[in-house]
Amino acid sequence: MSIDTPEAGAAVPDISVVVIVYNDARRLPAAVRSVLDQTLRNVEVIVVDDCSTDGSYGVAQQLALGHPGRVRASRLAENSGGCGEPRNQGLAVARGRYVMFLDSDDTLEPNACRNMLEAADRTGADLVSGLCVRVHTDSRHDKRVPWYPWLYRSTRTVESIAELPDLFVFDTLSTNKCYRREFLVENELTFPRGIHYEDLLFSAQAYLAAGRITLIPNTVYFWHVVEKSTTKSISNRRHEINNFTDRLEIHRRIDAVLDQRGLDGLKLHKDIKFLKHDLVLYLRELPFLDDDYRHRFAELARGYVQDFPEEAYAELDRVHAICAHLLMREDWENLMPAVDTLINRNKISAPLVQREGRVYWCDQYLDDPKARAVMDVTGLGHHGKPLEGMFLRNLLTGYAVRGDLVVLEGAMVNPLHTVAADADLTAELEFRARRRSLQMFRFPVRTVRHEGERITWQAVVPLSARFRPLGVVDEVWDVRMHLTADGKRTTTRLTAGRVDLENAASVPVQPRLSRLVADRLEPQVSAKGHLAFRLTQQGTAARHGRAVVDRNLQGPAARTVKGSYRMLRAVRRDLASGARKVQVYHRMLRLLPVRKGTVVFESHLGRQYSDSPRAVHEELRRRRLPVTAIWSYSGARPEGFPEDAELVRRWSWRYLRALAQAEFWIDNQGFPLRLAKRPETTYIQTWHGSALKRMGFDEPTHRVMSEQEQRSYQEALDRFDHFVVRSEHDVRTLGRAYRLPEEKLLRTGYPRNDVLVRAARDHRAPDAELRRLAERLGVRPDRRVVLYAPTFRARPDGAVRAFEFPFDVERFAERFGDRYTLLVRSHYLNRVALPPSVADRVLDVTGEPDITPLLLLADALITDYSSVMFDYALLRRPLVFYAYDWEEYSEDMRGTYFDLLQEAPGPVARTEDELFAAVSDLPAVVTQYEAQLKEFVDKYGEYDRGDAAARIVDRFFGPAGEAR
Amino acid sequence: MTQREIFFVANEVNELGGVGRWQAQMARLLAERGHRVRIIGIAPPEVAMDIGEDPPFETLTLYDRRPPGRRRPRFPLGRIDPVVRRQEADMRVAAERMSRLFRAAASGAVIVVTQVWAMEWVAFADTAGHPVIGMSHESFDASRRSSRFARVRSHYKDVDRLLVLTQEDADRWVAEGLNNVGFMPNPLPLTPVAPSPRTEKVVASIGRLSHAKGVDLLLDVWAEAAPRQPGWILRIYGSGEHEGVLRQQCTELGLDDSVEWAGRTDDVTAALARSSVFVQSSRGEGFPLVLLEAMACGVPCAAFDCSPGVREIVADGEDGLLARHGNTSELARHLVRLMSDESLRDTMGEKARQNVRRFAPEVITRRWEELFDFLER
Repeated sequence: MSIDTPEAGAAVPDISVVVIVYNDARRLPAAVRSVLDQTLRNVEVIVVDDCSTDGSYGVAQQLALGHPGRVRASRLAENSGGCGEPRNQGLAVARGRYVMFLDSDDTLEPNACRNMLEAADRTGADLVSGLCVRVHTDSRHDKRVPWYPWLYRSTRTVESIAELPDLFVFDTLSTNKCYRREFLVENELTFPRGIHYEDLLFSAQAYLAAGRITLIPNTVYFWHVVEKSTTKSISNRRHEINNFTDRLEIHRRIDAVLDQRGLDGLKLHKDIKFLKHDLVLYLRELPFLDDDYRHRFAELARGYVQDFPEEAYAELDRVHAICAHLLMREDWENLMPAVDTLINRNKISAPLVQREGRVYWCDQYLDDPKARAVMDVTGLGHHGKPLEGMFLRNLLTGYAVRGDLVVLEGAMVNPLHTVAADADLTAELEFRARRRSLQMFRFPVRTVRHEGERITWQAVVPLSARFRPLGVVDEVWDVRMHLTADGKRTTTRLTAGRVDLENAASVPVQPRLSRLVADRLEPQVSAKGHLAFRLTQQGTAARHGRAVVDRNLQGPAARTVKGSYRMLRAVRRDLASGARKVQVYHRMLRLLPVRKGTVVFESHLGRQYSDSPRAVHEELRRRRLPVTAIWSYSGARPEGFPEDAELVRRWSWRYLRALAQAEFWIDNQGFPLRLAKRPETTYIQTWHGSALKRMGFDEPTHRVMSEQEQRSYQEALDRFDHFVVRSEHDVRTLGRAYRLPEEKLLRTGYPRNDVLVRAARDHRAPDAELRRLAERLGVRPDRRVVLYAPTFRARPDGAVRAFEFPFDVERFAERFGDRYTLLVRSHYLNRVALPPSVADRVLDVTGEPDITPLLLLADALITDYSSVMFDYALLRRPLVFYAYDWEEYSEDMRGTYFDLLQEAPGPVARTEDELFAAVSDLPAVVTQYEAQLKEFVDKYGEYDRGDAAARIVDRFFGPAGEAR
Repeated sequence: MTQREIFFVANEVNELGGVGRWQAQMARLLAERGHRVRIIGIAPPEVAMDIGEDPPFETLTLYDRRPPGRRRPRFPLGRIDPVVRRQEADMRVAAERMSRLFRAAASGAVIVVTQVWAMEWVAFADTAGHPVIGMSHESFDASRRSSRFARVRSHYKDVDRLLVLTQEDADRWVAEGLNNVGFMPNPLPLTPVAPSPRTEKVVASIGRLSHAKGVDLLLDVWAEAAPRQPGWILRIYGSGEHEGVLRQQCTELGLDDSVEWAGRTDDVTAALARSSVFVQSSRGEGFPLVLLEAMACGVPCAAFDCSPGVREIVADGEDGLLARHGNTSELARHLVRLMSDESLRDTMGEKARQNVRRFAPEVITRRWEELFDFLER
């Protein structure tokens, strides 16, 4: 049926919106309404019906009658089976300067057309694209998820899609876009017929043909989806594999266009996305399919993917590359665990093998060097982990229901034989509700057997009798298994796949709210492939009861209850919040008396028992002075703190009380800025290192703060009653940066460096404690020690960058391993992954709480811009600087106080070769830089004389009484 | 071109300050195009600005005295709190005066609400179907740090168009959930006849001596730059509460010989004619007009990249040099580059003069008219 043509002379619409419909009479009016209600009034709607059988066309015609001149309706003679042909037809009769597409079950944002038009007219773009938001219509809280929001962070215009390859590969929708109609016509852009994924091809062609593309951050399109709360059935999964053929066909057509235009860069980008994203979607289904389907899929995938260039694979991360490799070889046995790790990123799913100092996924494919490189998982660092730190794959191998008992069987992987054959093994299963942990049910696992590379187990769970869920808010229950081996515990989820859970029997249950809300428990598989259970209603009573509950859960009474519950939760959160605590703390300051003799110590915000506060504490202890020492710790448990000190958790109520009543505060970084200090308390700031980078008010971030912010910062700094410095350099830099008046400066040197000064002076053999440390770390007594302590690198957003060796640590070990043991200490937030090949020649000491003993142990130090150089210099031992990125480092935001290249008291290596050359002759370094080292210490550590702790204790805790 | 009735609704008709000056200039420009412009102020100005004896627009102020701040409903009364109800009733009475004007206006009229406080009254008025344009004259970050943030989000949510100063600021508001945001730059406040000859070895800074304008940072910048370019002086125009502290800092830094304190000036063009480089070290800016003025005079600028407004006006490396926010060393390096290289000054100065034409009053006025037409579609 043809469409009415409007009368000649009618105004040209700015935008024509083509709405397609197939058997969706119910929602069609809302879609059309969303266009008619646009703030841009000069729009027209063209409804194209794909030959519906439910009266959709009738609805469309009614709408056209009701809005003459603004809505037109037409219908295809026969059903086309897709979105393409209806859109083509709508496009053919559109009159607007621009065209947009809308599905009958979706809606446009009210300002969408205006915003698109404004952008299009302003920039002259052929194509404008805006943010699409997925609306989960069946979710409880109107869940909205933006679609690739990172592509739409800001308004931008490009002259070709080649400038935005991410847009090309990720945003393939045709509906969140506005096309210049002439542009579509000139380039003969239409949707393909008779194939799925038409959007992919249309979008690709449109992107490629567009001379100018504009992106706007505005939400333009609401894509309504029904989240499948029930999990996929086997037939769903098979259906997906069937669709794969269509998807590949479309991809091949797009590849042809890219090839024709010579756009190799874009093709590579698309290939990478295919490997990283598209393939994964199908790989997830493989564990649930039979070998036939797997084979078909592998064939199809292989046929397409084998033509990909090498570079496409280079971008894949380790696990991904392994999956691709195994898929090509149809190695299902090794592939399934790999897919598990692909979906559950930090899971260790294979037993792993160690060969010649490196760790591999499996012991096959190691003969071919390329395949060997793919299988090499040393970089993942699994070999360094203790059992408690491992998230292991635990495959469910059996599920059977016997009456009201459920029998579960499984096999857990035992990578690199971490669990010894003779270990004492126990296990239990834990059922926990997915929403809000209201209750937990635990059941012992009766059989646990060590079988080399796996640990098999069997549990008989009396669910019907012992499992009593509430029944209403806790429909879904996750299952975890806790295994304890020789006292070390690891938690696993149960991976389904091998066992057919779809046809598995359900178990009768009795919820606490009675069987009227639910009467059966069914197994299901979570999105990540893990076993979970769901409460369902089988009997009539249960089904009716549940319906009643559902109705009431949305009713006004329920809403009031939920409202008060949420309010109570908010109140509870508020009471525990920092702001509230600060308020109460300030009241404590006013009301509670000072407790004489109490000292609150803190080092590095509670992280360790270390540094100058520790040195002062030890001096106090040595003199047996009557002081009550309270140490602050952060984290779950205090480790490495002395037993005789009172320990308080940072930000706990006890911590706040202790601070409020203390006579002394001693720390090295700053107690929380928001906590004021009372005048009766003396705050001694020992600080933690001389400054290389600009600090305090010299730092740009502080300089540009508003007056209010600067005042608050100054107030926090004014709390210091005394500030320890070790040189006039400190006075000129830190003293000025923190605006410290002269009388607050304590020119005593750092208490933590006393031991370094004494070691340099006395030249004694290392004491028993140092020897114990060396032994504990695994330093061989016949080797000398070199400590590598670089400073951290920050990302542009300020976060600490992941640690990477700037030199080849294996080469270092090879060359110097027989002479030196290399200790590596990176920033405490970093993880250092050392290959097993360097074991016992290179040791990771990042976890050591105090660096001072490590400095004493080290015969030489390699660093870059860490302030540890100022302290280590006191020992007069060789210092080597590896400044491979000095320009970048010094030019960045914060700026520096001195030029390392000028002042360094040791060789400054800029390349790995220069570094190795310096390390190969350390005695030469000593002689060559002896004078410079002395000058360096005089300039930057003149007050470190070995008696800092003593002087501080004398002054504040001596018999002369405390002097403020 | 359609001749329209244009209403500006602001906190005050002629409050001394950036927004007041912008409003007077814009009203004048539109009136000169033949539109009938009326400025409605909610309250009388605290410090009045002179808008001339016979301005080409009409004015009206709703209140004789500044009305108190909006009362918040007290728990547990909520909306039925009589204090709140009374205040709203008062506001409705005042708003009714506007409603009468709006209703009487011919079709094609437009209402521009210059400030968000004024919007609270427009919300009570009957806008008679005319499009309402809201405005925010500060950067997104500045709004975010103040009480205006929440008020912009709630009061400007449903206006036909919210105009902010730059595309970047607009994008930030979109991220906050407002989908009706556009941007409109401020017009050049002056059209200099001849460019600065750029003969004097003077670096000029023009602005209030306040914390926000960062003159203390400027002195640190100068302390690094001056020694490398002897013979140049920094002339600081402007007055403010921090003058004493700044002069002291200047002396402490030993810069008394190379820094001149020129005090307030009303003739920006003349000041720029006597300089060769312009510097701005602000901690924050909306749409710094003084940069436009400097560029219009052909004086190349070096400034901190402190906000989207600065980035919108200056193209780094082309018509000016931008340093990372707060990085005094970098700004010093930029100044040294400009001071030491005459041909660079000339090229950039010329480029600046050309590029700044996109902010010429006629251009901006045209944009406004196009926007009015656009909103009718």
